[in-house]
Amino acid sequence: MDIATKTSVEISVKSLNLWFGKFQALKNINIGIQKNQVTALIGPSGCGKSTFIKTLDRMNDLVDNVKITGEVVYQGRNILDSDTDVVELRKQIGMVFQKPNPFPKSIFDNVAYGPRVHGVRKKQNLNEVVERSLKAAALWEEVKDRLNESALRLSGGQQQRLCIARLLAVEPDVLLMDEPASALDPIATSKIEDLIYELKNDYTIIIVTHNMQQAGRVATNTAFFYLGELVEYAPTIDLFERPQDKRTEDYVTGKFG
Amino acid sequence: MARTRYVRKLKELRQNVIDMGALTVRSVEDVLTAFELSDTALAERVIANDDAINNFDRKIEAQCMTLLALEQPMAKDLRMIATSLKMITDLERIGDFVVDIAEEIITMAKPIRIPVSASKFNELVADVKLMVVDSIETYASGNVQQARSFEARDDRIDFLFKSIVENMVNALAQSQCSTETVADVASLLFIIRYLERIADHAVNIGNRVCYMEEGDRRFLK
Repeated sequence: MDIATKTSVEISVKSLNLWFGKFQALKNINIGIQKNQVTALIGPSGCGKSTFIKTLDRMNDLVDNVKITGEVVYQGRNILDSDTDVVELRKQIGMVFQKPNPFPKSIFDNVAYGPRVHGVRKKQNLNEVVERSLKAAALWEEVKDRLNESALRLSGGQQQRLCIARLLAVEPDVLLMDEPASALDPIATSKIEDLIYELKNDYTIIIVTHNMQQAGRVATNTAFFYLGELVEYAPTIDLFERPQDKRTEDYVTGKFG
Repeated sequence: MARTRYVRKLKELRQNVIDMGALTVRSVEDVLTAFELSDTALAERVIANDDAINNFDRKIEAQCMTLLALEQPMAKDLRMIATSLKMITDLERIGDFVVDIAEEIITMAKPIRIPVSASKFNELVADVKLMVVDSIETYASGNVQQARSFEARDDRIDFLFKSIVENMVNALAQSQCSTETVADVASLLFIIRYLERIADHAVNIGNRVCYMEEGDRRFLK
């Protein structure tokens, strides 16, 4: 696991353990997420990968009976500390979910929502941020003439890119994506993948995916989770071509069971 | 075990490569027997048998492409398919060199005589034959240690090749050879050159087996 030494680390996770009641969902996770790279998390259902990324923006706080130990160091601070400003944290580390979840508002208002919450009021400023965010999410050309239409009238792939634009509007550093293309057809999926590849120039991206080819296409590094453990973390090509752990080998070759 | 159909297809691929290897080994052995016995008829049969090796090449390539396109192989499976895909080219080339040797045998005066010390020549022939046999064996067994010995064994073959060439050139220079003899010596030079190239392909196979087993790309030079 020599990845962390190659470029600067955006998020450093140390000895992270997480329990839901008596069930331990994450076991002693240590990982350095590289800045301005795409990191893919793979593993069978229930292996802890979604729980892991939810920990990175404190979304597990919403679950009853959750207990977390260890550190998630971001910008020099352990974000698991009780005095962390969670609203501010989620502005810096945003999440895109499996199913696109636009607000039942116009396209414009969806993207302007975050900046408005954070105090941007001037119409011109909002116009600028909406255009910039939609362009960054590769959606501007498709919607620029109908910004006042309901977001719910967009296709699934467009809705997902709108959700990414909504995230970008609050200028985060890190984008967490939990199977962002699993509900989309191959063309919409490839647009999201191209977008992810472009966005890594400006953002650190962590993507949970069940699609190993997708991890191969977009991710610089890939982490394999199994039964709550981080089994292997390596450059994606190494993990898929010459995994070191037999469990990784069995999973990526589809021979589990 | 999951993906039973896929696993079966991988086993079929591996077996086909081994079968193609066995056919190539037999071809090498036969052509060297034809040389030893000055057997033109056997040399002609060897040439005819090359089609079977070429057919294997196309069949295995198609199998590899189907697996790559439809099954998204990973890790050792991916390396095995990539190794097989490249290795069949080595085997096919060995088959072509065997044909080249057979064609030289057919044109040479019988019985074939070697105008230099036979011991080095016989050593070269035996070493090349064993290298080809061992290269297929390493693929089948995954014996990386054996595969790694090929480079050193090839150095010995290269040394023998150069030494025999030098002896033949000297023999030609010092004797009053007839045109026919000169032509046979030229044929012999071609034959040992083909044998030396066959050994190079066996080394390639050994390197690919190291990659297949351990994923180490440094061996793919």
